[in-house]
Amino acid sequence: MSALLHVVGTVFLAVAETVGALTVLVFQLAWGTLRLQMDPMEAWRNLYKVGVKSFPIVVVTAILVGAIMVIQTGQLVAEFDAFGLLGWGAGFATLREVGPVMIGLMFSGRVGANNTAELGTMKVTEQVDALRALSIDPLPYLLVPRFVAIVSMMVLLTIVGDLTALAGGALTAKVLLGVEPALFYHSIDEYLKLGDFLNGLAKALFFGVAIATVSCHYGMSTEGGAVGVGRSVNNSVVASAVSIFLFDYVITYVLK
Amino acid sequence: MSATEEQTSGASLAPPEPAGFGVVLASVGEPFLFVGRELAAMAHVLWLTVFYAFRRPVRWSEVWRQAFEIGNRSLVFIAVVLGFLGMILIYQSGFQAQRIVGDLQLLGALYLQMLFREFGPTITALMLATRVGTGIAAEIGSMVVTEQVDALRMNNADPVHYLVVPRFIASVLMTLVLSTLAIVVSFISGMWTAKMMFGVNPGTFYNTSFIIWGDLIIFGMKSLAYGIAVPIIAAEAGLSAFGGSEGVGWATTKSVVNASLAITFLDFLLSGFGYVFLFS
Amino acid sequence: MIEVAGITKLHGREVVLDDVSLTVGAGTQLALIGPGGAGKSLLIKIMAALVRPERGTVHVNGEDMLALNDVELARARASMGMLFQNYALFDFMTVEENIAFPLRQAGKLGEGEITERVAELLHQVDLPGIQKQYPRELSGGMKKRVTFARAVIHEPPLLFYDDPTAGLDPVTSSKIFILLDRMKRERGVTSVVITHDILGVRDICDEFVLLNHGRVVFRGTRDEIESSEVRFVQQFWRGESDE
Repeated sequence: MSALLHVVGTVFLAVAETVGALTVLVFQLAWGTLRLQMDPMEAWRNLYKVGVKSFPIVVVTAILVGAIMVIQTGQLVAEFDAFGLLGWGAGFATLREVGPVMIGLMFSGRVGANNTAELGTMKVTEQVDALRALSIDPLPYLLVPRFVAIVSMMVLLTIVGDLTALAGGALTAKVLLGVEPALFYHSIDEYLKLGDFLNGLAKALFFGVAIATVSCHYGMSTEGGAVGVGRSVNNSVVASAVSIFLFDYVITYVLK
Repeated sequence: MSATEEQTSGASLAPPEPAGFGVVLASVGEPFLFVGRELAAMAHVLWLTVFYAFRRPVRWSEVWRQAFEIGNRSLVFIAVVLGFLGMILIYQSGFQAQRIVGDLQLLGALYLQMLFREFGPTITALMLATRVGTGIAAEIGSMVVTEQVDALRMNNADPVHYLVVPRFIASVLMTLVLSTLAIVVSFISGMWTAKMMFGVNPGTFYNTSFIIWGDLIIFGMKSLAYGIAVPIIAAEAGLSAFGGSEGVGWATTKSVVNASLAITFLDFLLSGFGYVFLFS
Repeated sequence: MIEVAGITKLHGREVVLDDVSLTVGAGTQLALIGPGGAGKSLLIKIMAALVRPERGTVHVNGEDMLALNDVELARARASMGMLFQNYALFDFMTVEENIAFPLRQAGKLGEGEITERVAELLHQVDLPGIQKQYPRELSGGMKKRVTFARAVIHEPPLLFYDDPTAGLDPVTSSKIFILLDRMKRERGVTSVVITHDILGVRDICDEFVLLNHGRVVFRGTRDEIESSEVRFVQQFWRGESDE
């Protein structure tokens, strides 16, 4: 019994410690961003890298997600012969829910994992210490540029992703169900509101903040050589996934 | 023999640098070649894994250890994520159904169907790719860069037989088990949300009348496909690691990206297959 | 006896080994020296058929290593031992399981005999009683000696040592070189030693090969290398820089 309590207590303390560290870090990063405390060249390089690197994978994912949503709603729509609702059903789910979540998960894999791996490698090869020795603060030099790049690109790529997902959905609707793209578009236009789209973007913003903070935190707390880098990346993507679903729930609840 | 001699005899073996219009062709063809090479590497690892699984004695004690490890690592994680997912999905669809249809009688039945067809296996697999797949890639990648894989080969232990086969079998089994668990968890959390938010009676919510054999078949097919894809992709990423800690970072990133993409793509293919052959 | 001829190995577009030919005679202890990135580790991995070269041949005791099938390769490797640069100790196994791994894989000895052999070998490398510890609990010098024990436990007639003293203090280094010397004198093994510690191997190796940018720059005995007129060889042997 006391062994169980010990385990529960240890896990609880570890979680509390991580959450605390993340909270402090997110405020530091946001404050640094507001005061524009960042190396401009690093910021530009990161914006380019993050955006260009994840563009193809976001587009591919979005097309597939749009297609899958149409396939899954398709049967229901066919059953009730309500083809005019197809665009709404697939579009609503994509814009509000599945789009941001799937793009967030992909983004966490592509950019978040890469960010942790890079920072982790710098940490274990003592490059971070070298920066400190040159009295360069890693926060504005390494972390704030990455934070800015990840958050802004997550939001921008979600816009791109939403559009490509709807295109993928329209294509699937035509091929699989014989629904004309015009009808699909009309259904979206008729039933979906700008709020649905903005709701998805709000989620993307928070997912971006979560991915950036989590990946920076795990990268900078890496220890123990190659094995440590692997472990950090693993923890980083897991924590990002949990925060994505957690924020998804909270935002869904708050913004009805 | 000075060190600065540039024209070496071995250089003739390297592919020539593209020049002129070739640069354009190379930049168009490169992504396709890249995807092709990646797929070929994965197919090779899959083939070796299946070959060794059938042709050499499987280390069952290691399979159980790995299965336990997978379960131990991801049980809480999957329960938390799928619990949230259940609440979110019912919350969203409940409001929409109220607005458009005005009737929540069939909410539970449709939700259960959706869990079997789509969210149960797919979200579980994405989480397993994150938790377990990345773990496998990190572990095998670290073993490659610290030469442990070479040491295995020096002692006639093939890395695919020794490391990948047990993880592969364990992953296939555990993906099925955890996907089933995921459906139970998210159904219960959905049921609870429906009761709290919309006052739907759990008795009404629990309605299996929409579940047909096709749903169970598609659930099985998806779980199986994901269970095969995740460890193979992760192992391939790990085995192709090189360099030091940077190499391990690359391998883990590659694993989570490739596995998530593969899951989305398999989801698309199998959902399409289900729509055409099972549900219409 | 190891013979490699015309070995060329590419890494992407870069030529890492360029037309390397080398013979290690039976019973010879050969030192492979050269600056970092010269391709030394790659060369011994090619000798053990862990890496396939783009061009060239590898013969070990007359057998064409690149033409062997899995079973034949397994048999050939059973007569080799390798001490890896990065220790390469299995981190999920105890010290005892690590050292016994080659014997268990070969499956010729009983468990009692294996335990006895491991204990005896650990005693020889001055680390008695650490059987149940894990590699992560050991210091760098201890790990090197455990790796050494694993490389030699199945008494292979052919040994490869990849930088056996990297990052070790002088006392531990000389302990390792004494072990290397003993392997040669008492068992008559054929071996290749990669090292940066020229003082350490000067007296225990029979032949020296200097590799630079993937090419053999010099090969010969200690007397020959010391009387070499080539500036690069001189500098490398004495550890001098251009200034």
